[in-house]
Amino acid sequence: MTISTPRALVTALALAGIAPAVLAASNEELEQQVKALQQAVAELQTQLKAQKPVPTATAKTAKPPVATAAVNPPTEPAPVGVPEEYATRDDINGLQADLENFKYQVQRDRDTKTALSNRALNVSGVIQTKFTTSDQGTNASGAAGQGNAVNNRHSTFDFGAVQVAFTGNLYKDYDEGRNLDYTLRFGTSPQQGTNNSFLNLLDASLTYNFLPTISADTSRAGLTLGQQLLPYAQEVQATEDLKPTINNAQYTLPGNMDLARRQVGLILRGDVSPTVDYGYNYRAPLFSYAFGAVNGNGPNKPDDNSAKDWIGRIAFTPPSDYNSWLRQLTLGASIYKGTQNLFVGAANNLVGTGRKDRYGLDLAYNHHPIGITYEYNVGRDATASGTVQNYSIGERRSVAHTATLFYNIGEQFVKGYRAQGRFDDWWPKSYQPFYRFDRYDPNVNVTRDRSDIHTLGLNVFFAETTKFQLNWNHTIDQLNNRTTNDLLAQFQFGF
Amino acid sequence: MISLTRRLFLAGLALAVVAPSFAADLPKVIRLGSPLVGTGNRPVGAGNSFANAQIKGLLEQEFQKDGIKIEWNNFRGAGPALNEAVANGLLDVFWEGDLPAIIGKSGGLKTKLLLANGRSSNLYLAVPPDSPVKSLDDLKGKKVAVFKGTAVQLAAGKVYAKHGLSERDFKSINMDTATGNAALTTKDVDAVWSSSNILSLEDRGVARVVYSTRKDPQAQSLNMQGYVFTTEEFEKKYPEVVQRIVNVLVKEAAWASDDKNRNALFQLWAKSGTPFSAFKRDAEGISQKEVQSPLLDEYFVALVRNSVTEAQKLKLLRGNLDVQGWFEPKYLNNALKSQGLDNYWKPLDAKGNAKL
Repeated sequence: MTISTPRALVTALALAGIAPAVLAASNEELEQQVKALQQAVAELQTQLKAQKPVPTATAKTAKPPVATAAVNPPTEPAPVGVPEEYATRDDINGLQADLENFKYQVQRDRDTKTALSNRALNVSGVIQTKFTTSDQGTNASGAAGQGNAVNNRHSTFDFGAVQVAFTGNLYKDYDEGRNLDYTLRFGTSPQQGTNNSFLNLLDASLTYNFLPTISADTSRAGLTLGQQLLPYAQEVQATEDLKPTINNAQYTLPGNMDLARRQVGLILRGDVSPTVDYGYNYRAPLFSYAFGAVNGNGPNKPDDNSAKDWIGRIAFTPPSDYNSWLRQLTLGASIYKGTQNLFVGAANNLVGTGRKDRYGLDLAYNHHPIGITYEYNVGRDATASGTVQNYSIGERRSVAHTATLFYNIGEQFVKGYRAQGRFDDWWPKSYQPFYRFDRYDPNVNVTRDRSDIHTLGLNVFFAETTKFQLNWNHTIDQLNNRTTNDLLAQFQFGF
Repeated sequence: MISLTRRLFLAGLALAVVAPSFAADLPKVIRLGSPLVGTGNRPVGAGNSFANAQIKGLLEQEFQKDGIKIEWNNFRGAGPALNEAVANGLLDVFWEGDLPAIIGKSGGLKTKLLLANGRSSNLYLAVPPDSPVKSLDDLKGKKVAVFKGTAVQLAAGKVYAKHGLSERDFKSINMDTATGNAALTTKDVDAVWSSSNILSLEDRGVARVVYSTRKDPQAQSLNMQGYVFTTEEFEKKYPEVVQRIVNVLVKEAAWASDDKNRNALFQLWAKSGTPFSAFKRDAEGISQKEVQSPLLDEYFVALVRNSVTEAQKLKLLRGNLDVQGWFEPKYLNNALKSQGLDNYWKPLDAKGNAKL
């Protein structure tokens, strides 16, 4: 049986307290009391020993300073560290209670307040709320009996795009990063060419990275199967650092070269010989490429003929350090060889198939704070005219030029600068004035059918995923012989 | 008699002429950069007087009376991200570790090295606690995380070379400090190179240190160094401001060097999220007076030269670098003199011996 320190002390004090009375006691009693006292003292000593701190590693292993310390020794070995402290039973009980509370809270939140999925999942979204005003009224007769005619509209509130995306991986390769990823995206978007407000399926694809992705030094390659954006030129797949405008370039739209619509197919994307400047965490592949085959008739439907459309793109970035003027200069070439069904007459009678080819050259120089992009695209579309019995095949050749010049005031596009450790929800406020020239000539053999859009604009980035955009579009529409001025104001925000 | 209107006009004109010259003497804001962030990406560093100045708000105090705003930028991407900011003209004065500083200078960044600031930081190699790895050789062909482009990569390269190895002997993966520590905890990597913050993982039982330069006789030449810089443009435009910044940093370095402040120093650094005990263990038997010395003495120059040579050998650096032309010691010398600290830190010769 062990006696606690307080009990032993009490005993000792009690014994000490009764000492005068002992004088009257017999020798035998005295001897017994002395023995009891000795025992109490021995127990106290044992307990004190048990509580004595074990000499710390610091004291035992303190070594003389490293090599140079011999030359310039420390002034005085400091009494390093605070006094050693020991956790009491109460401390441990408190900690245990906190831990149990935490476990309960986590489990409770997981059961009732947490979205779960079978695999890694990232949910994100983009919303564009827009106001447009124009000096040109819009009129439309609308469908009979539906009351959806448009009566000389000069302004409107509407949405540019609303998208919800689910991305993640189905298999994560911890050794090499040869991951199997998925993308599922729904959205309403002007590029869908529809006027309903339902969410359409935009992206639904599976990507396998068959080259390692864990090191920036090595080439990358991934194969994507499913519905996806085409890797054509710049505008179609441009991120906001290269595309400051609200509207897409004319050539990408349905009815023109029709390249912004998603397509269903299989596309290989990758790069070779990357230059990596670790001093700035900058990676620039010498060549990036994309090759693939798609249906060619748009999203959410099977192919409308047996011929597949082929796409290829290659881009060259001169090898350079980050601090070189050549940084982020890219030259690219794209080709799209497609086949489309041909129709004649008002009833759209099918008469066969014909070419649907696109060729493009592009240049981008995104060297903070300035940015320049230019792309030249040519379209060749077979056309049919006549009747089903007697028709002829022709060709329409379209041409597009798109150039953008922008200047960044602020650090929005300095990647490393944005990623700072801050206590608040800081984001570098940035302003990006820009000018874009966008020309589309639907048929070079027809005079005065061209459309030129000059856009002056300003983007204001004021939070991590939010920006305000102001665009003034001056459109010279030769075909309709009119000039239009539109003012677009839009908030784009994401999560 | 000149009318009141005319006098006001002349006074205004005079002010308009004079004002730009005043404005040129003092900036409205001083943009400071640090590649150090604490746990959870908090803007708190450790290990040097530059970090101390941020935690204590010393530069804010110094320039408060002038109405100059102090803007701290702590980069989660460490030295490489800081270099990116300097290349884009977004910083005036900053602290940086040896490798990114050398890469930046050799790549054309117009910087001036003002003072040493953390002359020797230990490097650690940690593995999961149940790993059979006992030495560097055991890790051959395995996944080793290192934050590339930072001082950790250069120090690791020096250690490899010392043991007859190279980065190519391992599956070297680029990970920032937080990611590397997390990957070690989940055993996604076999080892991670890190600074003293790894000791907190060891305390928690999720890492085991298998190598440290702390115990290496050649620690000084293997260890990481830190420097304080200004851009040439800022130095040329605001020399007095640079002087005042250096004054503050030197005064703080003297405080940090004093062994009686050792506990207070580690408690200050613990605000970064790395516990007191980690700093204490890291600094056992090491004089803070040596580590915190701001001197640009022959020994320090030799250390910088050594880092440049090693970086070249390891092919982390393209081209050459004129080390001598990089230093601007006048601000340090003024600070030492004005604060009576001329003889506080003893200068060493190129071999690390005390100069007589």
